Amino acid sequence: MTNNKPKVEGRSDEAEGPDGGWGWVLVGALFVSTSLVFGLMRSLGIFFVEFVQYFEESAQAISWISSTGLAAQQFFSPLGAALCNAYDARVVVMTGGVLAGLGLILASQATCLVHLYLTMGLISGLGWGLIFTPMVATVMAHFTRRRTLVLGLAFSSIGLSSFAFNPLFQWLVEMYAWRGALLILGGLSLNIVPCGALIHPQRHSKAPAKVDSENRSSRASVLNRVSSYLELSLLLERPYITYTLAVTLLNVGYFVPYFHLVAHSRQAGFSEYQAAFVMSAAGATDILGRIMSGWFSDLRYFRLIHLLTMWTTLAGVFIMLLPVSSLSGSYTALIGISLLYGFCSGALTSLVFAVVPMIVGVERMMGGLGLLQLIESGAGLLGTPMSGLLKDITGNYIASFMVAGSFVILGTLTMATLPHYFSCTDPLPPQRRSLDEGLHSELKLMNSVSSDKNHKGVNDLTDEVTKYPQDC
Amino acid sequence: MSSSWEQLFFQILLLVVFCRHINTKTPGPTPPPLVSINSPLPTDIRSVVLKGESHTESVELLNPVNLTLECTWTGNQNKLPNITGFWRKDGDEVENSRLTVQLENDQYNLKRVFSIISEENLGNYSCMFESEAKIDFVLAAPHMHEVRDKPIVSYVGDSVVIVCKMEETKPKPSTWNWYKANGTDKEQIFTAAEPLRYEIKNDERKTKLVVYNLTEADGGLYYCGAVYAINTTMGLVELKVINFTEPLKPFIAITVEVIVLVVAIMFYERYQSKKNYTAGKGMNDQTNTLTQGENNEPEEGSSMRQRKV
Repeated sequence: MTNNKPKVEGRSDEAEGPDGGWGWVLVGALFVSTSLVFGLMRSLGIFFVEFVQYFEESAQAISWISSTGLAAQQFFSPLGAALCNAYDARVVVMTGGVLAGLGLILASQATCLVHLYLTMGLISGLGWGLIFTPMVATVMAHFTRRRTLVLGLAFSSIGLSSFAFNPLFQWLVEMYAWRGALLILGGLSLNIVPCGALIHPQRHSKAPAKVDSENRSSRASVLNRVSSYLELSLLLERPYITYTLAVTLLNVGYFVPYFHLVAHSRQAGFSEYQAAFVMSAAGATDILGRIMSGWFSDLRYFRLIHLLTMWTTLAGVFIMLLPVSSLSGSYTALIGISLLYGFCSGALTSLVFAVVPMIVGVERMMGGLGLLQLIESGAGLLGTPMSGLLKDITGNYIASFMVAGSFVILGTLTMATLPHYFSCTDPLPPQRRSLDEGLHSELKLMNSVSSDKNHKGVNDLTDEVTKYPQDC
Repeated sequence: MSSSWEQLFFQILLLVVFCRHINTKTPGPTPPPLVSINSPLPTDIRSVVLKGESHTESVELLNPVNLTLECTWTGNQNKLPNITGFWRKDGDEVENSRLTVQLENDQYNLKRVFSIISEENLGNYSCMFESEAKIDFVLAAPHMHEVRDKPIVSYVGDSVVIVCKMEETKPKPSTWNWYKANGTDKEQIFTAAEPLRYEIKNDERKTKLVVYNLTEADGGLYYCGAVYAINTTMGLVELKVINFTEPLKPFIAITVEVIVLVVAIMFYERYQSKKNYTAGKGMNDQTNTLTQGENNEPEEGSSMRQRKV
C-alpha cells in the first residue's frame, strides 16, 4: 500500500513504481518489442548475402542499411521521448510499430539499393526510435525495487531472439526469397502494435508547469515547451553530461567484438564452425549476464553506479585480453575469455539504462533516455569503422581490440567523475521544478491524491487502489 | 614407282590398323590409346606409396596429358619375391597390363603411362597388386564446390541471378557455359538468341546467369559448365519460380492476428474501466460526478487530459 503514496514523497527516488501487477504485463510487452527491434536488427545479416547477389553491390554498401537503421533508431529517440511527454506513450509506440512494419513491407518491393536505405533504414529506424525509448521509460516508471531485474529480463530477449531469428530468417529466405521474407517480417513487426496497446493511456501531458496562459501561442513559449519535452535542460547539467559522455565512450568499444570476433577467430587459425561457436557462446553468456546482473543489482548490496563501473571495467579488460588469448593459439583460452566478455557486456547493458533515473529523476527519465540514445549513436558510428581501419592498417585485430577495450575503460574512468561517486548511498535526483513552481506542483499532487482514489480510469495506480480496500 | 606404291600401301595398312583401334567403341572398357608419336603431349607423373590395403588419390587434370601413374607397395607379411600386378580402368581390367612385379628394396613397384586426351580417358584407374592391395587414381577435371543445395527462389516477373564459382584453390576454367535442363538432356543457353531474357557475365572464376522477366516455365534445373581443355565440369542449381501470393498468405494471417490482439486489448480495457466505474460508483458519491466526465472518454486516442480541479 505504501506504493500508492502519491508523489508527495517525490524527494526520494523510490517515489514511483508500483512494482507489480500490470507492470509485469508491460515487461512482457517490452520483451516482445525489444526482440522485434534489436533481435531483428541483429539477424538482418542473413538478408545481406541475398542483397549483395541481387543488387550486385559491395558488402560495404549493403551494410550501410543496418547502420542507417540503427542510427535512425538512436537519432529519433529524443523525438519519441518528446512525443511521449507531449502526447500519449501508447499512441507513440503503436505508431512506431506501424512504421517499423511499414518500412519492412515497403522494402520487400525495393528495386534498387536506395529504396532499401529509405525503407529498411529510415522508415523502420524511425519506427524503432518511437518504440524503444518510450517502452523502456514506461516500464522503468512502473518499477522501482525491481527495475534492473526487469530491464535485464526484457533485454535478454535480444540474445534469445537472435538465436531464434537466425534460423527462422534463413528458412524464410529459402522458402520465399528475400522479398517474401521481408514482407513476412513486416507483418511480424506489426506485433509491436498490440504491445504498445498494453500501455495505459496517459492521463495528463507532462507539460511544464510554467505554461503562460496569456501568450500560449507565442514562439518563445512554443520553443519552451518543445525544449521541455525534449528535456534539453538536461544538457546543461553536469551529472547527465558526464554520464552521457561515459556511455558514449563505452559505446565506441562495446560493439567491436560483436563485429570482429568471428573474423579475428578465423584469422587466429580456427575453423569457421569454431569461430561461429565462439560468437554463440558469448551470446549465451550475454543473456545470462543480463538476467543475473539485473537480479543482483536489485538486491541493493551496492550502488548501481558502482556495479556498472565494475562490469564496464571487467568488460574492457576482457576485450583487451581477447586478442592476447588467441595469440597463444589455445581455443579454450579464447572461449573462456569470450564467455567472460559476454557475461560482462550483458551485465552492463541491464544497468546502463537503470542508472539514468538515478541521475535525472524519474520524471525526466523519458527525455533523458532519448537524448542519451542520440548522443551515444555517434559513438557507434565511430567505433566500428575505426576498428576496421585499424585492422586494415595493422593487418590484424589486436590493435582494434586494444583500442576498443581502452575506450571502454576510459568510459569507466569518466563515470568515476560523477558527483558523489565515492559515497555509499545514492544522492537524491535533482528536483525538476524551481521553488515557486514547486508550489504549483504540490497543489497538483494534492489534487492527484483525492482524484486518484476516485478515478475510474485505467491508470495503474488506480488499479492498485481498486484492488485493495480503500483507506484514505 | 612400285616402291612408292608399296610405301603408300604400307601407310594405308598402318592407317587401317590404327583406325580399327580408334573406331571400335565397344561397350566394354576402351583400352587406353597407344601413345601417339605425332603430337607431343605434356607429361606428368603421379606416384603413391601404399602402406596399408588401399588408398584413393584424386588427380585434377586440365589439359590432355601423358600421365604416368606409379604405385609402390611395401608388401604384407609374407613378402613374396614375385607377385602379379595389373591395372584397371573403371573396374575393368586394362588389356595387356598384367605384369610380374619383383620385390626390390623391400617394395613392389608398378608403373604405366596413360594418354589422357578427352573425357573418356578420365575416370577411376586402379593399380592392383594380386588382389591384395589397391591404389585408386581418380582422374577428373576440377570440380566445383556445391554452391547451393537448396533451390534458388524467385518471383514471377522478377529477375534472378544464379552464380557458379570455382574456388581459388582450383585452376581457372577457360570459359563458362550455361545449360538449362530439358527433360533428361541439357540445352545450352545462348544470350545472343534471347538477349532480353538471359545475360551471362563471366569472370575468371565466377559466372553469373541473369534471367529477366521470370515465368513459371523458367523454373527447373540449370547447369553451369566450367570448360577445361580436357572436359567440362557441371554444377547444378535449381530455380524455383513462385507467385507473389505465396508469402502473402502468412503475411495476411499475421496481420489478422495483430488486429485481433489490438481489438481484444481495447475491449478488455473498456470492460475493465466499466467494471471499475460501476464498482467505484457504489463506494463514492459526489466527488465522482465531478471527474466522471473525463472517465467516460474513450481510452485510446491522443487526447491530452488535463486535471480539472
